Amino acid sequence: MSSTDFLLVAIIFLPSVAAGAIALMDGKAVGTIRGMAFASTVVTFVLTLFLWGAWSGANADSPGDIVLLCEAGWIKSWNIYFRLGVDGISLPLVVLTGLVSMLAAGASWSINKQHKGYFILFLLLETGMMGVFLSLDFFLFFVFWEVMLLPMYFLIGIWGGPRKEYAAIKFFLYTLIGGVLMLIAMLMFYYGSGATTDSFNLIELANAASGSESTLSEFLSPETQVIAFVLLFIGFAIKLPAFPVHTWLPDAHVEAPTPISMILAGVLLKLGGYGIIRIAFPLCPYGAAVAAWWLVGIGVVSIIYGAFAALAQTDFKRLVAYSSVSHMGYVLIGLGVWSIGGDAYTAASRDYWLMGIEGAMFQMVAHGVSSAGMFFMVGVIYDRVHHRDLNKFGGLMGKMPVYSGLAAGLFFAGLGLPGLCGFIGEIFVVLSAWQFNSTLAIVAASGVILTAGYILWALQRVYLGSEYKGPHEEDITPINPREKSIAAVLLVFAIGLGVYPAVVFDMMKDSTANLTETMEQGYENAVPAVAEEEPVEQAQAMNN
Amino acid sequence: MATLNAYLLVGAVLFVCGVICMATKRNGIGVLMGVELVLNGANVNFVAFSKFTSLGLDGQVFSLFIIVLAAAEAAVALAIALNFYNNHLTIDVDRGNKLKG
Amino acid sequence: MTETGELLRNLLMTAWLLPLAGFVVEIFFGFGLFSKNPRHSKGAAWCAVGCIGTGFVCSLIALLVWVNKTGGHDTYEADKGVEKGWMSVIADHNHGLHPHGDGEHAEHSEHEDGDKDHAAGGEQGHEAEGDTDSHDDKDAHAKPHNEEASIEGGEWQLASVTAEESEEHSETEDSRSAAEFPTAFSGRLYTLGEFGSLIVSLDYYIDSLTIVMFAMVTLIATCIHLFAIGYMSDELTDDYVDHFAHTSDGKHVHRPGRFYRFFAFLSLFCFSMLGLVLAGNIFQVFVFWELVGICSFLLIGFYTERKSASDAANKAFIMNRVGDFGFLIGLMVLWTYFGTFNFADINDEGQVTGGLFSMISRSTEGEDLGNVRVDEDGAVLITSPEGEVLQDADGNNRTIPYALLVVAGLGVFGGCIGKSAQFPLQTWLPDAMEGPTPVSALVHSATMVAAGVYLTGRFYPMFTAEVLLTIAYIGGITLFVAATIAIVATDIKKVLAYSTISQLGYMMLGLGVFGWAAGLLHLITHAFFKSLMFLCSGSVIHGCHHEQEMPKMGGLLKKMPITAICMLIGVLAIAGCPLFLGLHFSGYHSKDAIVASALAFSEKNPGHFLLFALPLITAGITSFYMFRLWFMTFWGKPRDQHVYDHAHESPWIMCVPLLILAPFAWLCAYGGDQGDLYVMLTKDAPAHIENGVTAVGDGVVLPEIQEMYNQHEAAGLWALTSAGIGFVLAFALYGMNLVNLDEMKKNLGAAHGFLANKWHFDDLYDGLFMRPAHKVAAFCAWVDRTIFDTTLHFLARLMVIIAQWDRIFDEKVVDGFVNLIASATGDFGERLRVFQTGRVRQYVMFIVVGVVILFAVVFSTFPG
Repeated sequence: MSSTDFLLVAIIFLPSVAAGAIALMDGKAVGTIRGMAFASTVVTFVLTLFLWGAWSGANADSPGDIVLLCEAGWIKSWNIYFRLGVDGISLPLVVLTGLVSMLAAGASWSINKQHKGYFILFLLLETGMMGVFLSLDFFLFFVFWEVMLLPMYFLIGIWGGPRKEYAAIKFFLYTLIGGVLMLIAMLMFYYGSGATTDSFNLIELANAASGSESTLSEFLSPETQVIAFVLLFIGFAIKLPAFPVHTWLPDAHVEAPTPISMILAGVLLKLGGYGIIRIAFPLCPYGAAVAAWWLVGIGVVSIIYGAFAALAQTDFKRLVAYSSVSHMGYVLIGLGVWSIGGDAYTAASRDYWLMGIEGAMFQMVAHGVSSAGMFFMVGVIYDRVHHRDLNKFGGLMGKMPVYSGLAAGLFFAGLGLPGLCGFIGEIFVVLSAWQFNSTLAIVAASGVILTAGYILWALQRVYLGSEYKGPHEEDITPINPREKSIAAVLLVFAIGLGVYPAVVFDMMKDSTANLTETMEQGYENAVPAVAEEEPVEQAQAMNN
Repeated sequence: MATLNAYLLVGAVLFVCGVICMATKRNGIGVLMGVELVLNGANVNFVAFSKFTSLGLDGQVFSLFIIVLAAAEAAVALAIALNFYNNHLTIDVDRGNKLKG
Repeated sequence: MTETGELLRNLLMTAWLLPLAGFVVEIFFGFGLFSKNPRHSKGAAWCAVGCIGTGFVCSLIALLVWVNKTGGHDTYEADKGVEKGWMSVIADHNHGLHPHGDGEHAEHSEHEDGDKDHAAGGEQGHEAEGDTDSHDDKDAHAKPHNEEASIEGGEWQLASVTAEESEEHSETEDSRSAAEFPTAFSGRLYTLGEFGSLIVSLDYYIDSLTIVMFAMVTLIATCIHLFAIGYMSDELTDDYVDHFAHTSDGKHVHRPGRFYRFFAFLSLFCFSMLGLVLAGNIFQVFVFWELVGICSFLLIGFYTERKSASDAANKAFIMNRVGDFGFLIGLMVLWTYFGTFNFADINDEGQVTGGLFSMISRSTEGEDLGNVRVDEDGAVLITSPEGEVLQDADGNNRTIPYALLVVAGLGVFGGCIGKSAQFPLQTWLPDAMEGPTPVSALVHSATMVAAGVYLTGRFYPMFTAEVLLTIAYIGGITLFVAATIAIVATDIKKVLAYSTISQLGYMMLGLGVFGWAAGLLHLITHAFFKSLMFLCSGSVIHGCHHEQEMPKMGGLLKKMPITAICMLIGVLAIAGCPLFLGLHFSGYHSKDAIVASALAFSEKNPGHFLLFALPLITAGITSFYMFRLWFMTFWGKPRDQHVYDHAHESPWIMCVPLLILAPFAWLCAYGGDQGDLYVMLTKDAPAHIENGVTAVGDGVVLPEIQEMYNQHEAAGLWALTSAGIGFVLAFALYGMNLVNLDEMKKNLGAAHGFLANKWHFDDLYDGLFMRPAHKVAAFCAWVDRTIFDTTLHFLARLMVIIAQWDRIFDEKVVDGFVNLIASATGDFGERLRVFQTGRVRQYVMFIVVGVVILFAVVFSTFPG
């Protein structure tokens, strides 16, 4: 096992090992358990940074390819391999996962019951997330996808708020439905990849789909591609979450404990976008081109709908949850602005799509930072006054100035203020959208007004004003150093990404360029097949 | 020369006598005697068939087995009867209906 | 990039980034680092003043360097005689036609002195430049002059180190060196994102407008920082009592002072504002556009305890975002069709990539539509820096539909409407007066709100005739509406706020009627006199212990003479008063220029007569309400003795900035259209404004610059008459109290109410947008809660019902069948029990009977 193999495996399984160790500990040694869990997330985060270093070396040799492959037989009779790897698309999200997990572990001090079980599940969850981002075998991907599900279910269902059971089941069922659809698509690819290469290998499947290694006749037909894409898309859209399958999100967020909300918003939602770009896109380029309109349309509706819904909320956390729906809409738009097949499609159009994809990816990272921060800030005040009613706050700026300052920074990041991370993703996506469709682009851009509206209004009701209007006023104490450092780290990342976004763009530019090229190839290979069938149908129609 | 039918007739009479004895006697020993009669009826038939057909000594051998079996059976049955008597102070088989379902 | 370019860049970037450093220091360390008693420390203020002051020094040096360089350019051009460009033509013309008073002569000689200085400096600059690229220079000199002059768009060309040093690009250089001394420097700071051929980056763009803006912003900001040290000094306490914020039990809010935070926000604002001015591409402008917006939000809402303040802050930011929505649409169009945001051509590693300004080229030939080059289908051609039409990968000409160019222009202007508080987004600015007065002076009169005008001027080459007409009408409506409201406003700051909106409308109108220089000149002059007036009003408010209502003032001239005189200078300047001590007030020059442009425009386009009538009438209204303000505040008898008795002149730290600003407010535009400021501004005027635009079809005619100059005299007279009437009225009503005002108010109740309610714009927007938005929001939330969740719950219930049926099926049918078999078997056994008597003799009977039956059956079945 080479050192990079070890790195990949360690990133995934180090948290599980720590979880195992915690399982053997005395449940009453809360301090040790916390320390152990936090330390393991820190080490994992550091390992992801090492992975970044290793990747940049390898990427220089073969720009844009998936590198640092680690492969081992698993269920060979079904061609299932334990296959890991990283490229510019997964790397930012892996680092983000490491970061958010670390900060969420730090935020887990507020958990006040059954610490042992909590941290075991928490660490297993991290294993699942890392596994999804790093696996390159569809089957393995699916396994990790489902592995995440159970810890999350229990984390919401046991440590959650008053309606935790309802929220946990809602979350579980929604995601499970998505998983089932994905399973169907997975089997379509497995059996559609040709008799010689029944395979779950994502790289091979992508190559087959692009027509670069085998002829298209050995792969899925264009029509089947569309079906497969729709199945995958629904699965991932649930996770994203996109209108109209988003309703699990507000409930899950509201009921989940603060650190789990951070993970949920910071990482889990990204799995949807990642799934689309890693699986749905390269495996069915034709399907993606056909469905592009739906992606953008759903994205636009999500933005506007989520923003309006956020405007009407009175629960602080629910407001932030709907803002996630709104912000993740930009991801769909960015991914979908592929105008191929249209009359106006030129070589330059692909650059705009590339911008859209990178903007969407950046939006995912940025949202991971800003929304985790916003949820954390809500959690900080909730820990003190034990309510989240927006109309019963006020005047916190005077009582908790440092907290309010940090919160304002993070909420501005969510608002999409230039110089902070939220701006770059949104603006690049919107800028890339006009060439796809001007009307949709305009509607998407109008989201900036609504976003400003609901965030500023919330800030005003919570932080500004002459006095605090809710219960437990005596419990409002200044932010403590642990909370301060978590928020500060997030804010530093928000500013850093906003001021110098090139650090993320540089990571992914080779991979996204490869992706757009191969997908274009795949689409062009599929088009003749469609064109051939049409005359046949016409002939049949004439015979009839 | 007596014919096969004569032997068979004797065997049948013995058999029927034995069966009637088993069905009518309430005394356990009586029933046992009926059993012996049935077995011997069968023995007669075996030997007769052996004599009048080309079976060789097979029938005689079977008869010997049956005699041995009958002896063993009698021993076991007498032991049961003895035990029965110990428990019920009688050997009236109608008194023993524990096997009623 | 020449050495000069690098020097200018470094100077301006220092001026730009210092306030950011100041912000970081102040927000993190401003509280407590400088003093043992942090709430009483002025350390943060002096840090901020130091930063912006140094910035001002840098800007000033840059200005001098620039004047030296371009002065040389000027004289060089002057040698060329007829082809030397329109500026000297105008100068000649004015020598002949403009009526000069004695003072003007003195001024003129001064101006000539200045020119000599420039010339001398220019020589030096020339030599310095010659060191680096002497052979290029020679080439340039060797070329015939007329060829140089004929190269289109030469003013926008750039020189850069790489281009000049690289022999391979000598051809480009030749055409480039035609510009002699480049009138704009542009370059890249760093790249934000790169997508194939598309690059989004942070750039800088330095031309004379940038430099003038830098000098203006840093000077005013420095003065206002100083003023704020005095004005905000009541924050230097551990227990600040906010008399305008109440808790629910009716008490005043007590809180610790936040002196350092105010200065931190001011520094952040200065950084954002300077970044906006320095920005080298329209995207970057948008970035800083939003940043000044958020600074404005923070500063308006500085008194966070006041509901009115946070409401006003939200309103300001959200209304600005409405404008920015338009801006964003403009950006999308530009990005999609031009593929770049850069203003100027960027020389990137030897490759010149065209900027927006050279991508739309103008021509005076027959094929043009509104003076924009179009192809036969009417789509606008996109050109390279050399004026050649660009082609895409397939070899087709790159074009943008004319309508979309209009959309882009209107979109960008939409952002300007929001930021500069133009109709219909003007309502946020008066509310923004909730912020401390120094903020109103800096952010909401002199700099940030002028950013809209600045951008309109900066982006001028991209505006088509239709867009300009829209700009003119928006400006016209705004200036009139705001001025009428100012008549009835009683809050001293509100009057100034409406006056600001109105003056911004003037600038927009000036720009819209093709008076590019007039609009921007007014931007600069207005910044000086309006910030002066705001500071004076701040001084009054401070002196009267936070009393802002003019009806409670009066006669303050005796109590605060410095403030009163400075305010009077500002009032005279804004009213457009000519000749004082032989020197025209700056407002006279700039407003005259705007009215002249409007007159020239309306003569060419009689249908748009309103565009001349509105500013003319409003000049009178302006004069009226400004003198009304002055008379009500400083003249006559005290109306509220209590206020009067406690009033006092402000401390020196507040008076000094007034005294610094007053001469600028008076004289910054001295010399008018041949003054240094004007000449400097127009140095980099967009190339196409010189010749005007001839109408195509029903379109408007944009006048030549010459025609505007021809109107100066007439326009000046008209405007003066109008302002004079305004002054007389104000003096009669408020100076001499000839009429009973209360009675008049009663008689004109309807009109007064209409104006006092600000034309009901707030009510209109509330009913038109706010409430519907909340309704829609409530509807969305309702949909989510009911439709989606109900559907979901219905599905869940359906599943449960199906599951219940399934259970019944399982229990009744499947289990029932299995149980049936079992029970049938049991029943059968039960029946058989009868035979199981336990009696041996019966068993024997059964056997016998059974055997007999068996025999009977066998024999009957197989007989024989």
